Amino acid sequence: MDELDALRQMRTSLAHQESPDVLALRAGRRPAPPRRLRLRVPAVSLLATAALVAATLAAVSLPSDVDRPVPPAAEAAPGNALLVAAANVRTDPAGTYWHTSRVSGRIYAIGTDAADHYKVESRLRYDHWTGRSGQACSAVRDLPARPWSARDRQHWQRAGSPAKVRVPSGATLFFEAPDREPACRPTRDQRFYGMTPRQLAALPTEPERLKNALLDLEGDWKAYAPKVTKQPIRALKGEPRVRALSDVAGTLLALAPTPPAVRAAAYRMLATLPGVRIEGDTTDPLGRAGVAISLPLETTIPLGLSTAPRQLGTYRRQWIINPAGGTLLAMRDLVATPPRGSRTLPPGDDGKPRRLTAATQPDRFHRPGEVSAYETYEGEWTDVAPR
Amino acid sequence: MEQLGDSAIVAASSRDPEAFGELFRRHAPRLHAYVKRRLGAALADDIVAETFATAFRQRERFDGRAEFGAWLWGIAGNVIAKHHRQETRMFRAFARTGVDPAEDGVAELVSDRVHAAAHAPRLAKALASLSAQDRSAILLLAWEELSYAEIAAILNLPLGTVKAKIHRARTKLRKALPGENNDG
Repeated sequence: MDELDALRQMRTSLAHQESPDVLALRAGRRPAPPRRLRLRVPAVSLLATAALVAATLAAVSLPSDVDRPVPPAAEAAPGNALLVAAANVRTDPAGTYWHTSRVSGRIYAIGTDAADHYKVESRLRYDHWTGRSGQACSAVRDLPARPWSARDRQHWQRAGSPAKVRVPSGATLFFEAPDREPACRPTRDQRFYGMTPRQLAALPTEPERLKNALLDLEGDWKAYAPKVTKQPIRALKGEPRVRALSDVAGTLLALAPTPPAVRAAAYRMLATLPGVRIEGDTTDPLGRAGVAISLPLETTIPLGLSTAPRQLGTYRRQWIINPAGGTLLAMRDLVATPPRGSRTLPPGDDGKPRRLTAATQPDRFHRPGEVSAYETYEGEWTDVAPR
Repeated sequence: MEQLGDSAIVAASSRDPEAFGELFRRHAPRLHAYVKRRLGAALADDIVAETFATAFRQRERFDGRAEFGAWLWGIAGNVIAKHHRQETRMFRAFARTGVDPAEDGVAELVSDRVHAAAHAPRLAKALASLSAQDRSAILLLAWEELSYAEIAAILNLPLGTVKAKIHRARTKLRKALPGENNDG
């Protein structure tokens, strides 16, 4: 990306122009210039300012019933929706099993150019049951791929409604999938970022202390690195630290059998992380209403799994929470800057040079703001045994 | 109503101060948005007010040979330059924490932002290292889409100097971006 383009994308929220009437009123409403000006500017300029203000007020015509500009809509304090969610975490009595159902979706562009392509959503469903004594099982199910939007569906139908499509990375997406529930396979030693359910239950319930405990969590927190390095989150600085903490918090809120008081602390901790923003009302990929919280990310690939970069774009991760129910409904990754160009990769196993190119990226035709991937979450305590 | 040129209004305002209000209507919104983007909403009102107060006070000096806009933006540039260190501190804080102090209280209101600008903290760090004039030159180019000639008029510098400043600033910013070896 060009550095001028990058600059143009900076602080866009501040770039919108306000009406001259509102600006003139704000200039005129001030009883005197601020102290800093008053000290420095000679008296004559105060007269000039007064004349200017009079002039601008005379120049703007205002409805007579308006005596001051409309204040901005009630401004949510940063983290407000997160704090509401923290206050509303569910305190259902724990059942025999903690069951979560997670659908992981990725949006692939099918086609050879930006003008003539359609988007397809691939979906996998992961079900996990964790018993109170720690025994656990999980099941993965392929859900049929489907066109992403109504427009994409029309395009897919014009293409003859193929039953399967190949994507440039070599994978095949199937629009039909076997309609049978997979068996739940036992997983020994169910852990969440290395923490057993027993350890989760012992986590602090105060946000600062929770953060402190999580900073001590050892793991491979790099998005990509040639070698695996185990280190505490505390060893990271800046954006990587926020990414690791928010990943762990997401697992605590969405997937792990986390006690309600720890969940509440996780929401409050998230509200304090730099870069976390409240964005407003939205609906998640399952159509559930919620509030979006966002965090800019350079890469969305899972931490600790890759030896080399796998993306060429940058992203914004949205957390969609239901403040009234205290639940994390979904995560959604939006493209901030679409993938472009290519990047040299370290040689592969065969020693040959490799390149990462935009042509193989699933989101190569995405525009900024479009969804590249998502996960939806449902979790409940149940007495129904896994199948 | 007859649309008077800016210069005619400035001339009229020497006898009729209220005429200056029209210049405020014409130029304040864009100038205010630019100042907000540089120093945040909290300072923008004051800086725009000071700019127009100075322009009004010095309106006799405006000789009509330059564009009024360039003259006004030049005054604004001088006022912004007085806050050079404050601006540098804000960029540094943004680079360090990932939270932009300039967007304080604004971002929450904007639900339709599509650009996350994940590189912004890196750019902020590079911007913090630029001199006042270099910073103004590159931001007038990137944020206001002004031509080199317009920027030269605002900064009251020769065209060649402006080109050199922008080249230097772009080089620093490019180095700040990840994947400098991207060949795309």
